[in-house]
This record gives sequence, C-alpha cells and structure tokens, in this order.
Amino acid sequence: MKSTVQQLRSEAGWPPEEGEVISFKSSTALETATLKEVRWGLVWRDFILEDGRVIPEHRVSGCPRPQVWRKIDEVTDSEREECEGRLLSMAGIGLDPRERDQPFWAELNQYLAYTYLRYKGKVSVPELPR
Amino acid sequence: MTLSDEETGDQQAWRTLSEAGLVEIRLEEFGEKIRDVKRLVTVRLRELLDLDTSIQERESAAYALGTLKGLELKVQASVPEPPDPSES
Repeated sequence: MKSTVQQLRSEAGWPPEEGEVISFKSSTALETATLKEVRWGLVWRDFILEDGRVIPEHRVSGCPRPQVWRKIDEVTDSEREECEGRLLSMAGIGLDPRERDQPFWAELNQYLAYTYLRYKGKVSVPELPR
Repeated sequence: MTLSDEETGDQQAWRTLSEAGLVEIRLEEFGEKIRDVKRLVTVRLRELLDLDTSIQERESAAYALGTLKGLELKVQASVPEPPDPSES
C-alpha cells in the first residue's frame, strides 16, 4: 500500500510533511535529511528520504509512542504477492540486502517481520533465539 | 475495538518481533533470520497439508517458503569472502 504523506496524516503534526527536514537515528549517529515520502510497508511506515534511504518510522525523532502498526489481516494477498515479487526482483538484479537503510534492506526487514507475525500465532514451535 | 486495545495489539507485536530480533535485523544476521522464518513457515505448511485446509492458504504458505528460499540463496551468495590468510 502506498499513500501520500498528506493521506497518512492521522494525528497533529505527525507524520512530517513531504519536503520537511527530519531527524533520525542512523547506524552511527543522529542525522538530518529531507523527507521525500512516507509509505506504509507490510507492518510499519517507512520514511523515504530525498537521498533514497529508507528509514523505519520508529527511528525518526518525534515518532509518537506507541507507534501505529498495521494489523496482519489488513495486508491483502495482492499486496503481499507484489512485495514478494519486488524482493525476488531486487535479489535477481544483484542488490545486497545488507546495505543498511536501502530499499532492499527495508523491504526484506518488513517482509520477515510480517511473515513471522502472520505464522507465529498459528503454529506451536519454540521461540526463536534472540 | 477500542484505542487501548489497538495499542496493546501493536505493543504485543512490537515485543514479539523485538524478542525474535526482527524489528531491525542486524546485517550479519539476515541469513539466520531468513532461516528462522522459513522454519516457521515450513511447520505451518506441513500442518496445512495434514489438515483439510483451503488450497489458497497452502499456496500462500508455499509461495512464501519459495520466496524465503530464494532470498536465503541470495544472501548466502553475497556473503563477502573472508580474507585469505595465505596472502598476509
């Protein structure tokens, strides 16, 4: 599901608007960058920056707590299948999912989180190791 | 559903994923996490095949498993080679 920033505004002042400068926690420090778009993934919202990086909402300064996530049942079959197709395409053209904050990394994170939540409640298997 | 119920649900999901190390996967753990999720889907697919469930659900689980296998192969293939000790 993809929406514009304006369509996603659900509470006062959040999320920031397209073109605003946002602060977020990177792997090394607190950084600032210009927001290009806010997009729902399979579980949480991703903030797409002008430089192409993808930052999950919970790493953006000012994110309301608790943050709002999608219910697993809200994700449609076609949305999930499109996500699976994009992941395999990105893998097929040689992108590396271990490039942090890049689209492949972000989408794979969400897909694994979604798939885990989707099946976790349906089978009786031991907890995953931390 | 009330707002507080929704918040509880989101918080539970957050805790579940945090405990599984799936909120933000460490770069060196992608292969391991893909295998973990794959194992979960495999168990579910076996259950679905044993039960008289809808074809759609079985196909969905099977497709997820195929996607995870493809991604696992990709991650394995792109693991950087360790330095050759004979060259030092």
